[in-house]
Amino acid sequence: MDIKKQYFDGLKSHIEHAYDTQLETIKAMAKLFADTAINGGVVQLFGINHGEEFVNELNFRAGGLAPFHGIKLVDLVLNGVCGGTVIDNGEVLQSDAYLDKLLDLYKLDPRDCYVIVSEKGVEPLVTAFAKKVKAHGHKLVGVVNKKTYERLSGCLDDKLGNYCDLMLDLCAEDPDVALHLGDTPIGQYGSTIGNVMAQMITAEGYAYYRSLGKEAPVLLSANVKGADKHNDSLTDPYEGRVR
Amino acid sequence: MEVNAGVFKQAIFDLLDTLYEKESANIDAAAQLISDSIQQGGVVHVFGSGHSVGLGIDIKNRVGSLVPIHIMETNDFVKSGAVTLAEFKDKTNVFERRADVADRLYNLYDIKPQDVFIVISNSGINGVVIDIANLAKTNGHKVIICTCMNHTNAESSRHPSGKKLYEFGDVVIDNCGPHGDALLPTDGVAKVCSVSSICNNAIAQSMAAKIIENLQQANYPLPVLTGEPDHDQALIESYKGRA
Repeated sequence: MDIKKQYFDGLKSHIEHAYDTQLETIKAMAKLFADTAINGGVVQLFGINHGEEFVNELNFRAGGLAPFHGIKLVDLVLNGVCGGTVIDNGEVLQSDAYLDKLLDLYKLDPRDCYVIVSEKGVEPLVTAFAKKVKAHGHKLVGVVNKKTYERLSGCLDDKLGNYCDLMLDLCAEDPDVALHLGDTPIGQYGSTIGNVMAQMITAEGYAYYRSLGKEAPVLLSANVKGADKHNDSLTDPYEGRVR
Repeated sequence: MEVNAGVFKQAIFDLLDTLYEKESANIDAAAQLISDSIQQGGVVHVFGSGHSVGLGIDIKNRVGSLVPIHIMETNDFVKSGAVTLAEFKDKTNVFERRADVADRLYNLYDIKPQDVFIVISNSGINGVVIDIANLAKTNGHKVIICTCMNHTNAESSRHPSGKKLYEFGDVVIDNCGPHGDALLPTDGVAKVCSVSSICNNAIAQSMAAKIIENLQQANYPLPVLTGEPDHDQALIESYKGRA
């Protein structure tokens, strides 16, 4: 069989499994995000490594919902807090040294809820961030690759799940390898499954707004005429908290 | 119109089937260009504006990933000090729509004659992506375009030449998404649930699998991360400064 076809078929199979096992969590996340927005809060998204793809898939997306905001490690570099090597070599993940400096870059609010995305869910920065979020009384969702998370966190006292109200499983293998050609691993599924589930959260969020009799705050593609004005009307009220 | 996670799952499955059936030959052609380049010591430079950068991120830096992939990021302007953060984030002069910054970005990197470019833009109408593709073509490189033909055919070019991104491609891959990127109709004006990131990932991952298969059939050492530390470190070192 064409190796590309193998990839597409495997992807669909994994998405089917994710739908079957994660639907209730997807619905709960959609409700949490919408309730947060209705109460004046923002959904703060933080992802490390390829977890940033999940963040990007929810944050200011055409056909997505407002208000989300991405907390990004690269902002430490762009704002001159640290050099790029601290991010590139993973040093930033190994302690909470940069956590407060990162959060100080944004306009955070007591009404906000948080999502932390980490395939492993055990990095010191990740657990310190989660602990801080819970200590301040926010709702928190953890997104991990469950098979990897369970392998790595089994003997650890401090792990992302300790602090989360909801946990979403990316439903990839451990390690996240899609195919093999002889002994050579090829490709991954986890981020794409995560992107699909992010869009499922959007769909369920839209349905939840409608069930309440409310208009859903749907963003338009910035590359469609008139979209900027529409999108600004949804994000300007947050006065710099979302963009 | 019913909108929920199950409706989206079926819609994205249908779209992935269409994508494979319609674009399989184009993905093969792109994979062949890249396989030839890698065998000549080449690197693939990936440039995408906005969320499109996710295509490059998804196929890089993990077990099962090709190493000779280099992501060109507009963030690199700020990291290198060429542009201030305030200028980069200026909402009144959106960065990705400017037509005068591609030269400066192109010159930030070590680009060799045998290198190939992948340029991604869902709309395919904005300044920077068109200029990067044009620069690569002018400098004799093969250029692979990943875009949404439904969107690009429905909007006017924002580039001074009036051209669109697909016009610069040696190979053009259509992500087969809808105009505006959002897939599901609602009971309002806006559609919800964007698909370009999901389709772009499927294109990139299946293309990477085909590249690796091509290289194996040519008996070329596979530049793929395997999770074996010594192997992976040596491989990364061999592309240092380029990827």
